[in-house]
Formats: sequence, structure tokens, C-alpha cells
Amino acid sequence: MELEFFSAAFLSALFAIVLIDLVLAGDNALIIGLVARNLPKGQQRRVIFWGTFGAIAVRGAMAVLVVYILNVPGFMLAGGIALVWIARKLLTPDPDAAAQHAAQAPAVSFAAALRTIVVADAIMGVDNVLAIGGAASGSIVLIVLGLAISVPIIVWGSHLVITLVDRYPSVILLGGAVLAWTGYSMVVREPLLAPWFEGHAATRLVIAILVFSISLAPWYSARLSARMKPLVVLLPALLIWMLAVEVAASHWKLQVDYLLANESGEYLLEGLRWLGWLPLAAAFLWLRDQLAQRSRSARA
Amino acid sequence: MLLIHRSPRAANAVRTVSPGGELFVASVVICMILASFGDAVDPALFGEAGLEFALFDLGGEFSVLAMRHWHLLQLLLAGGILAAGIAVLRVGAPAAFKILRPAPRRAIDKVPI
Repeated sequence: MELEFFSAAFLSALFAIVLIDLVLAGDNALIIGLVARNLPKGQQRRVIFWGTFGAIAVRGAMAVLVVYILNVPGFMLAGGIALVWIARKLLTPDPDAAAQHAAQAPAVSFAAALRTIVVADAIMGVDNVLAIGGAASGSIVLIVLGLAISVPIIVWGSHLVITLVDRYPSVILLGGAVLAWTGYSMVVREPLLAPWFEGHAATRLVIAILVFSISLAPWYSARLSARMKPLVVLLPALLIWMLAVEVAASHWKLQVDYLLANESGEYLLEGLRWLGWLPLAAAFLWLRDQLAQRSRSARA
Repeated sequence: MLLIHRSPRAANAVRTVSPGGELFVASVVICMILASFGDAVDPALFGEAGLEFALFDLGGEFSVLAMRHWHLLQLLLAGGILAAGIAVLRVGAPAAFKILRPAPRRAIDKVPI
């Protein structure tokens, strides 16, 4: 699908891609520096040049692959779910993150250094490329633009990105929200689910809230008191319950709309839909309390 | 390792974010959910139902329907306007309530009319 140049859809997708590039950019400069530090001086320059070139080539190849893979039925849904997890991981505070990187040991030869750099970029770039593929909605122009933006960030822009996100941490939250929004649009664009969504349009809203409640959980759970923390689990669980009942009803051809129900069994099913989750929630809260009490008594 | 993790403030963004920035992003998320509500509701249903829905549109279903298929830039703009509105209300509402509060009984004679 090609979007019209400078239309609202095109500019929105471009903005989403720039934001995703900023928040999911990997620290390639650090990796290259770490890998090259133990090599002789003469080889260091070659490793930096070919490492950067290899990282860019891998990024380009992965972008092309993602465009084709997302056209395969089922992969759009899988990509959307992966983006929800990526958004959640992005927002989860990680004090030890700076100590973790893909290149743990310095390389001893040129080939080993190059291999480490390329593999590290492939690992770090998967989420970035997947998110760009989802935000571009299959537009090759946008994919190329996304690459054209991410490559200078890989090579020169690291300091600029760090300065920006250090001054405005809300960019990270906005990036998480945009990733969640992209994940939601990928899930509802899944060709395998399109006929089902046409018959069950209201489930789109349930999926949107489910996606946001899971991916933004680290953000809103940081604002909740200890008593309200179970909401982080209960809200997505309730939404999954609603979706599961809807899917089961359409699979077994059951009537779950109380306005259209005319048999006692259908009313019972409607009651199960709205109240059936309550015993499960109560059991979860009881189990949580028991575990908390047990850990408190073990500490005392 | 992500580039943003080189900044301790960015790595812990959920705690270090400014109130203004947080309000803006929260408003954008609300607009995104409202837009998905617009996508979820079939406008033909409202067309069939007739004018009574427009008259009793207390839930704002029609206004949400206007957000159907909104793009990210529109959502960001709407989020910005919503955040600005909430910020103005946060400042203006206490001032308005202060004016409405009755004067103390003892000071009632001193209130200039």
C-alpha cells in the first residue's frame, strides 16, 4: 500500500517512524567501540568502518524481510503482540540496563569483531525494524525513509538522542504510547481476523484498551498505591475474559447479547459473561494475599 | 542495549517525567482510545436510530465518531488541546470555586455591594 505524499496519513506514519527510531535506537557506537578496543590500531579504523557498514546492511536486509513477512497471514497479529511487549519493556525502569549490552567480550580478530558488531546490531534492530514495518503500513517509501532516518542515528546521532531523552523523558512515554498504538493497528489489520472484526466491531475497543493496559502498565502502576496494584493484572485479565467469551460465543454460535436472548440458557450465558470473572478475581486476590503473608512471615 | 539507557533519567522515564509531559502523553493516550471507540462503533447504527440519538448524545458518542480513523498527528494535536484544557481547568477551577464560596458570617457586613 502506498500513501499519498504529504497527506496526513503519510506525515503521521513518518512521525511515528522518527519517534520509534529515537526510542528504540541501539547503542551501536558503544558496541563498535567495545569490540574494537582490543584490536591493533591499524585494524580499529577498518573495524569501525566495516562494522558500521555491516550494521546498516543488516538493518536494510531486515527491513526488506519485515515488509514481506508482514504480508504473510498471521504475522501482522504476531508483530502487533510483539510490539505490545516491546512498548512494555521500553517503559519498564531498568537500573542495570547500562551494564547489559550485546557485545560482552572484546574481539581478538577482525572477522570476529565484524561478526560481533553485525550480530549485535541484528539483535538490537529487530524491534526497531518490526515497529517501523508496522508503522509504515506496507509503504516502501516510508520504510526507506525510516532507514534513512535510523542510519544517521546509528552512525552520528547518539549524543543528540541522549540529550533529547535526558531533557524530555516524556518522549519515552510518547514512544511507548505510539508503539502500543502501532501494535493495536497491526492486530486489527490482521487479514485472518478481518472478517471476524467486521461482525464484532465492538471488540476493537476491548483490544485497544487491552493493548494500552498491558503496554503502559509500568507507567500507571508507578502511580498506583499498593492497595490498587492488583488492577495492573485484573484489568487486562477482565478484558481477556470478555474477549474469550465473545470468541467462544461466535465459535459455538451462542447468543450472548441480552437484548436478543430469549432462552434461560442464553441469559445464563450473559450472566457468566458479566459476572463469571468475579470468582477468578477474588481467587487471584486471595492467593496474592496468602503469598504476601507467607513471604512476610518468612522474613520475620 | 538501547541508546536511551545511557541516560539514567530516560531509563527511568516513568518516574522522572515532568507533570506537563505526563499530562500531554496521557491526553494523547485518551484520544487514541477514543479514536479506537470511533472505529469500533458502526455509524450506520446511529443513522438507523435517527435524530433521538443526536438529541440525547450525553455520552458524546457522536463527537467520538468524528475521531474515526484519525491519524497520529491529529491525535497528538487533540491530545495537546485536551492537555491544555485540563491544565487551564486545574488553575481556573479553584479560582472559580473561591469566588463562589460564601463570605464568613462575621464578615458579611464588610462585603461591599
